[in-house]
Amino acid sequence: SGELCCSLLNPRNVRFESINMKNVLHWSAPEGTSNGVLYKVKYSVYGVGKWIRKPECRNINRTWCDLSNETSDYEEQYYASVKAFLNGMFSEWVETTRFNPLTDTKIDPPMVSVSSTEKSISIILTAPEKWKRTPEEESVSLLQVYPGLQYNVSVLNKKTKKRWFFSISNHTLVVPWLQPGTAYCVSAQIHVTTPLLDSGFSKEHCIATLKDK
Amino acid sequence: GACRVSMSMTEIRAGFTAIKANIQARDPIRTLSILSHPHSLHKVKSSDRCCITHHLFNFYVDKVFKHCKTEDSYVNRKISSIANSFLSVRRKLGHCHEQNQCICGQESTEKLKQILANYEGLNVTSAAMKSLGELDILLDWMEKSH
Repeated sequence: SGELCCSLLNPRNVRFESINMKNVLHWSAPEGTSNGVLYKVKYSVYGVGKWIRKPECRNINRTWCDLSNETSDYEEQYYASVKAFLNGMFSEWVETTRFNPLTDTKIDPPMVSVSSTEKSISIILTAPEKWKRTPEEESVSLLQVYPGLQYNVSVLNKKTKKRWFFSISNHTLVVPWLQPGTAYCVSAQIHVTTPLLDSGFSKEHCIATLKDK
Repeated sequence: GACRVSMSMTEIRAGFTAIKANIQARDPIRTLSILSHPHSLHKVKSSDRCCITHHLFNFYVDKVFKHCKTEDSYVNRKISSIANSFLSVRRKLGHCHEQNQCICGQESTEKLKQILANYEGLNVTSAAMKSLGELDILLDWMEKSH
């Protein structure tokens, strides 16, 4: 019986992938295996004794398991672990490193909306929301999670290719003294200084200033 | 009056982030936490924050950093740079304490006793390495509550 134990190679690269605190456990199949391998998952809160099984991820053949619900308290830290099965053989439990939802999540770019007058552009930025269990649940903006959250805004004059960068804490920005009848493209990024977290830049939102009357 | 101490959280954070995986990998005990169990730092009353911060900086300077030597010179350099930042903040917090701006209530005294009990429940090196691996718990709490 001892020989049967752990004669299946271990799942590999077991880690959390987190975006806006949607925390999903991912792994790769044991080397040399692809079809037919099943997995089960457990997780634990750091500092608390017991492992907790995740029933929805028991005997699954996919290589991910959404643990957002179980790891939603970002004042705690977590471990998760995966075990593989195939034809009566099974692997060892393979653990993640310690996962801190607050520092180990990635943040999406902000939503950008722009409007213009003859000589100015108004930009409104919205930080993404923290993952939530159901659409009905109250939304929590990442601004509430990271009080030091700032926005880096890039404004490009499409004609002259001149670009300005602004770093703001406020979620609105008015860019004055622009040329009438000119196209400008705006893109924005979220920057949290501590813990250090930067989103990517949003896609560009282009708008033209009104023509001179 | 309020105890206002300036410190470079960004620098300390960057230093810790650089060695977090290395340090936490040296702590195999998942089931015990020095700082956050059984009672989370986040449950501390605002009136007790200054006292706990002051004593935790003393804790890290006096009981943690000096027992965290590794075979990796890069990690050691990062640890000593974090330790130096803690030393300067501790000095400033000490002034507040002397001017009675950092009063310790019963709750904070209990919390600190619990942290020391957790620490003394392990051998010194394991306790120090675990405490260092929990630096982000302290930093997260400080940023959120201060």
